[in-house]
Amino acid sequence: MLDKLKKYYAKILRIFKRKKQIQLGFYGAVNAGKTTLANRISLDWLGKEVGTVSEIPHETRHVQKVENIVVKTNNGELKMNIVDMPGIATQVDYKHFRDYGLGDDDARERAKEATKGVIEAIKWLDNVDAVLVVMDSAEDPYTQVNVTIIGNLEARGIPTIIVANKIDLPESSPSSIENAFPQHVVVPISAATGENIDKLYEAIQEHLT
Amino acid sequence: MEVQLDFVSSESLASKASVEKVAFILERIKKNVIVVLEEGLSPEEETELIEATMREIDAKDFHGIEFYRLDHRARTLRDKIASYISGRRPGLTIVGPTRMVEAIKKEPNYLSMLARGGGKKRRTSARGAGKSTKKARKRS
Repeated sequence: MLDKLKKYYAKILRIFKRKKQIQLGFYGAVNAGKTTLANRISLDWLGKEVGTVSEIPHETRHVQKVENIVVKTNNGELKMNIVDMPGIATQVDYKHFRDYGLGDDDARERAKEATKGVIEAIKWLDNVDAVLVVMDSAEDPYTQVNVTIIGNLEARGIPTIIVANKIDLPESSPSSIENAFPQHVVVPISAATGENIDKLYEAIQEHLT
Repeated sequence: MEVQLDFVSSESLASKASVEKVAFILERIKKNVIVVLEEGLSPEEETELIEATMREIDAKDFHGIEFYRLDHRARTLRDKIASYISGRRPGLTIVGPTRMVEAIKKEPNYLSMLARGGGKKRRTSARGAGKSTKKARKRS
């Protein structure tokens, strides 16, 4: 009961305590495109990338932070630090990495780091002001990982936007995400091509600051 | 290898703190048991379960879990207050070891789970108490 009261208190505080610079966390399942999006934003405004992108799952196994990004939109300036999180997963099997050509030792090491990365990402929920939940719009959005992430953000009262990523793919269906999570703002984008990225900046300014 | 399912009543979970609940689930999962809880875990308990799972994963025997929560939407104010005070989320949670649970798929009004025991696939379903999944989704 005390925990619940504390969370409600935190929610109320957030309403009155608008920050000039937000700590924006990127959450989502593995391979949803979080690092591609973080790179896109960082390249747009700082001219440098955040991290490496690859097809191998769990490429991002440590939290990656880029500070002091100033985004300019039609509605003014937006100052933020972006925190790219490792993908959340409920299982990590090292044998899966061998399918991508990794040797046994490398695959085991990657799996070990991946499990630590998931824990690190969960711990970071206590340190973010706002969150972009990145979902692959070409996949079924109603997975337990997505439901758990969204549920935690709601319980903590953390302002959230869902990014329906990969709209450049022919099988993309952002409306599936809107139907699955109707209580949240959903912005369809392609982090890979940059399509609609300006709409995302405007949504961040409108809903997360 | 046979498939064992343990059905756990909400009464037996009521006295357990979140940490104990997660330990209780994982202890069974690591023995290749699929656990069906007569309540929905809270989002915080779900992240605790994921964290604890990540700590337990080893290359040889345990690669993680599959789980799914099916919510039952509290319709009356009385139900909502009771749920709030008790901390219980009416619903159902299925958790299984990933080596056995091939897939858990959400269908309208029920969960469908495909489990593997001794190389054979066995399908089991759990029908939700909620009127529709759309309503359950709105709560998530």
